[in-house]
Amino acid sequence: MKLPPLALLTLAGVGGLPTAALGHGVILERQATEAIEVTAQYDTGEPLTEAQVLVFSPEDPQNPWSQGRTDDQGRFWFRPDQDLVGTWEVIVRQAGHGGLVTVEVEETGAATAENPAAEGDDSGSSMQSASVNGVNDVANLSPLHRVVLMGTTIWGFIGTALFFWRRKD
Amino acid sequence: MGQKLNARLWAMLLLVASGGFLVGCGAETPEAEAPDTAIEEPTAETATDGEEEGILEIRASGEDRAVEGFTSKDGWELSFDHIYVTFDEVTAFQSDPPFDAQADDSIQAVQEVRLPELTTVDLTADPDDEDSVLIDEVAAPAGRYNALSWKMAQATDGPAEGYSMVFQGTATRDGETIDFTLKMSPEFTYTCGDFIGDERKGILEADSMADLQATFHLDHLFGDAGKADDDSTNLMALGFDPLANLAEDGVVDVSTDELEELLSEEEYAMLTDMVIPELGHVGEGHCQVSELS
Repeated sequence: MKLPPLALLTLAGVGGLPTAALGHGVILERQATEAIEVTAQYDTGEPLTEAQVLVFSPEDPQNPWSQGRTDDQGRFWFRPDQDLVGTWEVIVRQAGHGGLVTVEVEETGAATAENPAAEGDDSGSSMQSASVNGVNDVANLSPLHRVVLMGTTIWGFIGTALFFWRRKD
Repeated sequence: MGQKLNARLWAMLLLVASGGFLVGCGAETPEAEAPDTAIEEPTAETATDGEEEGILEIRASGEDRAVEGFTSKDGWELSFDHIYVTFDEVTAFQSDPPFDAQADDSIQAVQEVRLPELTTVDLTADPDDEDSVLIDEVAAPAGRYNALSWKMAQATDGPAEGYSMVFQGTATRDGETIDFTLKMSPEFTYTCGDFIGDERKGILEADSMADLQATFHLDHLFGDAGKADDDSTNLMALGFDPLANLAEDGVVDVSTDELEELLSEEEYAMLTDMVIPELGHVGEGHCQVSELS
């Protein structure tokens, strides 16, 4: 049995699904970005609220790259510049209490907590934890994108099938 | 007829294939790649070739409390004539990765410099700097000095001979004045990370000068009336009353060895197990502490 050339091409397309989808003009892009959350609290569990936060990039350990204050739960977020690879330092201070946590930004753009438990205090009641969490913001496709991707692909198959199914008058 | 059958056969195959694709799509939910959380191996990047050097000062501070005095948690107004501290094996490190004193880490030094001699300083006075006193300075390769360790050792001579730390001063409350001398003999090693304070320290450029600071928090010993009674600093501080109770004719001159007999077991344990180890900091930064004797 001799197979029609067009059918062979379409079967090959089944293996290359994204090509079929993108052929209908849907452009999907993904971008992984990371935010760092720092949480500061005493070993009593009490958060350091409204504490001063200083963020230092690997390029300049002397002058803060960013600064702000913790919220009412002792939390602070920042998004390091992924081009500045190396060790980032975050200092949290409040009325003589202080601690430091470091975050390693690698070539891939991934951020890793070097010392998730921050150091330092002024009272023996140390800042016990400074958790650092990487967050992927845009990496997953949205439900709408998934529906569009599947719909356009299915319609491609159906259209092709109908092409062969049609009656020749 | 044969061509039409072939076409319909292929159309059916395509429909079946599309159905299979749907199942495949449902099973393969797009997943974001997890960030690589591996910690980079330590490198010697921050070490220098030894040719580019600067001067690194190692200083000590009792903060404003040592210079200006303060009120203890039990209401004694304290002023200090001298606070002698003796340092030995003072060592500044460039640690990569940075040293975390609260973790079970050890300093991973890519560069280190050490002061050569045992030195006693007085935290209460420095004509050039009201807040800190120079222990010594040393020529050091340029780089980022982000860890500091020292031994608080017994002095071999001078006014604090035989003791690692000596407080001399005056306490006043409700018209009563007590001249006090408190002599401490326990020896500890303090191993600390980066300085935390109003400014960053230890960043040494070639042909320049930088400093590090060993900081002593006196409120851990006496408490601080400026803090709440239930503040953890005050809860874990000895206060001055236990010493005032030992005064005769307005004078108390006592050593920690004598205090073992004179204080309650609970007070003495607090002094040696909690207070003295907590004295040493780097600014507000914490230290690992180990007792030598």
